[in-house]
Amino acid sequence: MADKSILAEFTKGFGKENPTFVQVLGMCPTLAVTSSVANGLGMGLATLFVLFFSVLMTALIKKVVPDGVRIAVYTVVIATFVTIADLFMRAYVPPLSKALGPYVPLIVVNCIILGRIEAFTTKNPIGASLVDALGMGAGFTTSLLVIGAVREILGSGQLLGHQILGPGFHPLLVMILPPGAFLTLGILMAVFNAVKNRETVVVVGGN
Amino acid sequence: MKKMVVVLTVVMVLAGLILASAYTVFQPAIARNQAQALSDSLASLFQGTEKLTFDRLKTDKMEIYSAMSGAGKLAGYAVRVVGSGYGGPIQMLVGVSPDLKTIVGLQVVENIETPGLGGRITEDAFRNQFQGLDPAKEITYVKNQQPDKNKNQIEAITGSTISSRAVTTALSGTLEEALAVIKEVGASTAAK
Repeated sequence: MADKSILAEFTKGFGKENPTFVQVLGMCPTLAVTSSVANGLGMGLATLFVLFFSVLMTALIKKVVPDGVRIAVYTVVIATFVTIADLFMRAYVPPLSKALGPYVPLIVVNCIILGRIEAFTTKNPIGASLVDALGMGAGFTTSLLVIGAVREILGSGQLLGHQILGPGFHPLLVMILPPGAFLTLGILMAVFNAVKNRETVVVVGGN
Repeated sequence: MKKMVVVLTVVMVLAGLILASAYTVFQPAIARNQAQALSDSLASLFQGTEKLTFDRLKTDKMEIYSAMSGAGKLAGYAVRVVGSGYGGPIQMLVGVSPDLKTIVGLQVVENIETPGLGGRITEDAFRNQFQGLDPAKEITYVKNQQPDKNKNQIEAITGSTISSRAVTTALSGTLEEALAVIKEVGASTAAK
C-alpha cells in the first residue's frame, strides 16, 4: 500500500481497474440509462455520492461489525445513502429524477459499491479507501458519460439535448434502443482493451 | 452472536433516524415540486390563456379540475387520466375545451417509461398530436405514417408502441366517462 501513490489509487478507476470496461460491474445502469449524456452523468454522480459516503461509513464502523452480519450492515448503509440521494434528486433536480426513474433506487444493488467495500475498504485504511471510492466513482461516471455521448449523438443527433448533427443526418434509432447500449459498450470495451494491452501485458482478472 | 444482534440493531435504528431526518428535510421541497408541477401542467394545457385558476370538481369519481381565466370565464376542464404503460402507470392530465368538443392539450405528469424511448411520450411532438381531437370518440394510433386527424388518430413513437398505445387507450377509456361527469357536476357548479 505504502508505495502506491494517491494518484495511482485514484486513476486506476479510469484505467486498469475501470469498473465498467475492465471489471464489467454495474451493468444494469450502464446499459439502461445511458441513452443520453445528461442521464449518464446524473446516474454516475448519484452512484459516486453513494459510493463515497458508503465507503466512508463502512471504513468507520468496519472494526465493530461482526463478520456474520457484515453484508447486511453494509447493505443497510448503502440503502440509506441511496434513499438520501433519491430524496435529494426528487427535491432539487426533479427532471433528472424523473428521467432516471426506478434506476436511482436500484443503485442499492449496484455491485460496484458493495464490491469496492468488500474488495478494498475492508482491507485498506480509510484514506486510501476514500481515494479509491472517488476514483472508482469518477471512472464509472466518465464511462457512463462516454457511452451516453456516443448513443445520444448517433441515436438522436444531439449532445446534451442540443442538435449538433444537421438535418441531413438520419438518427440511428437502434443506438438509443437497448441493442445500442450493448453495441456501444462492446465497441468501447474493445477500444479500451486495445489501448490497455498496448501499454502493458499484465492483466489480472477482476472479482 | 449477541454482538451481531446489537450491531445490526444499532445500525438499523441509526439508518432509520437518518432517513427520517432526511425525509423531513427534503419533503417540503418535494411537496412544493409536486404542487408546482401540478399547477404548471394544468396551466400548460390551456396555452394562450393567462392567470388561470383551477378548482377541483366536487366528485369522488374522478380527478377533474375546472379552469377559470383571469377574466372569470370558463377556460375548460382538465381531467386526470392514468394509463398502464410499459414500465408502470402513466399519469396524465388532459385539457378539454369548455364546450367539451375538443382536446386542447395533453400533459404527462408522471411516468416510469424507459428513458429515451417510451419516456418520449412527454415530448411536445407526441403530446401536441392530441390537440384538436374529439374527446368523445375513440383515439387510435398509426405507426410510421401520417395520422388522420379526422379519424382521431395520432402517430405512435417509433420503438415505443406500448407506451403510445397506453396513452391512447387510457384517453379513450377515461374521457368519455369524464365528459359525463363534467356535464353532471359542472352544470351544478355553474349554477351556483
